[in-house]
Amino acid sequence: MNLKIADFTIKLFSEKPFQMEEGYLPFVDGDEACAPDVSVECVSGIPDNLLDGCKSLFEARSEDQWFYSVYEYHAGLAFRIFNQQTKNSVQQIAVLNEALDDWKIYTVSGPENDFLPLKYPMGPILLYYLTVNHEAIMIHASGVFDGEKGRLFTGFSGFGKTTISNLWKESGAKLINDDRLIIRKRGNKFFMFNTPMYYPALPEEAPLDTIHLIRHAPENTTKKISGALAVSKVLAFCIQNNFDKRFIENHLDFVNELCSVTSVYETGFLPDAGIVQYVKDHE
Amino acid sequence: MNKLKSQFVTREVGNELVLVPLSNNVSNMKELFTMNETGRFIWENLTEKMTVDKLAEKLMQEFEVDEETAIKDIKLFLEKVSQMKNEYS
Repeated sequence: MNLKIADFTIKLFSEKPFQMEEGYLPFVDGDEACAPDVSVECVSGIPDNLLDGCKSLFEARSEDQWFYSVYEYHAGLAFRIFNQQTKNSVQQIAVLNEALDDWKIYTVSGPENDFLPLKYPMGPILLYYLTVNHEAIMIHASGVFDGEKGRLFTGFSGFGKTTISNLWKESGAKLINDDRLIIRKRGNKFFMFNTPMYYPALPEEAPLDTIHLIRHAPENTTKKISGALAVSKVLAFCIQNNFDKRFIENHLDFVNELCSVTSVYETGFLPDAGIVQYVKDHE
Repeated sequence: MNKLKSQFVTREVGNELVLVPLSNNVSNMKELFTMNETGRFIWENLTEKMTVDKLAEKLMQEFEVDEETAIKDIKLFLEKVSQMKNEYS
């Protein structure tokens, strides 16, 4: 089975039938002949002691929950993925080669209809490691396209990414996604793409023209920023596993170029329809 | 000083530098560190054998500041960079 996400082709194969979470189904690509950017072998069952003696490189966890850990594994990487429902039990161990283009995902054995190789958070982790190996970034952001311009809104959780993208949607703009986007360069232009979520949504893409670092405010305001300030602020909202200098260098180069050809604004907004026209008038 | 420097990746953007720390966990980065001309001069002169006093001398020659200001600026700079590194590791 091939998935086409953000113009990346992901080839999944397995000896056993496997399932996909429903958010991935619209991204299934019928063109099996297309050369994959990454291959994923899906295995049911996790071998014992696979990560014994491996050096820990990175941990993704909150105060009370593990998401995943990354380990040095021969010349490549290995991942221990934790179940987000049962909290802290391992759902998968995944191995990635040095070139970051060949995965083997071992999923804990269970009922036949529960063999989900890309079960959250495995899917987004796989996508993130595709971006570090290409000219691309993954960012916590919402994105809209009004037929003329593509706009990305990013900010801290609770700062209004969903609110502002819904206001644009109500004004007639197409919503690309309101939570997570992949940005890629095609020719001299940058484009934003949605990725599979927990709900089914068709693949969407749009050119990216402006980036707004948003926050709620007592009145609508916007100020253009540029240079190192813009790069550092946009990069802060990108998804990053910064244990490897190569990954950071890739992100810095990409965001530096992105900020040199798109306009970046710090935008405060009131949660009403007026922000749409305000942004159009002040960009 | 050089050890601290090896814990960051930098990129030149215009006349400034953007610094990103290496990290072994998911950090909630509010904003990354950027450096103006003075900060950049200090950063570029952080070498293995460099001391605060030697660096202050260089800073005084380059920017015509007095010794007290130069030492204060360097210490503040090192404190900020170390703090940032500690936040993300």
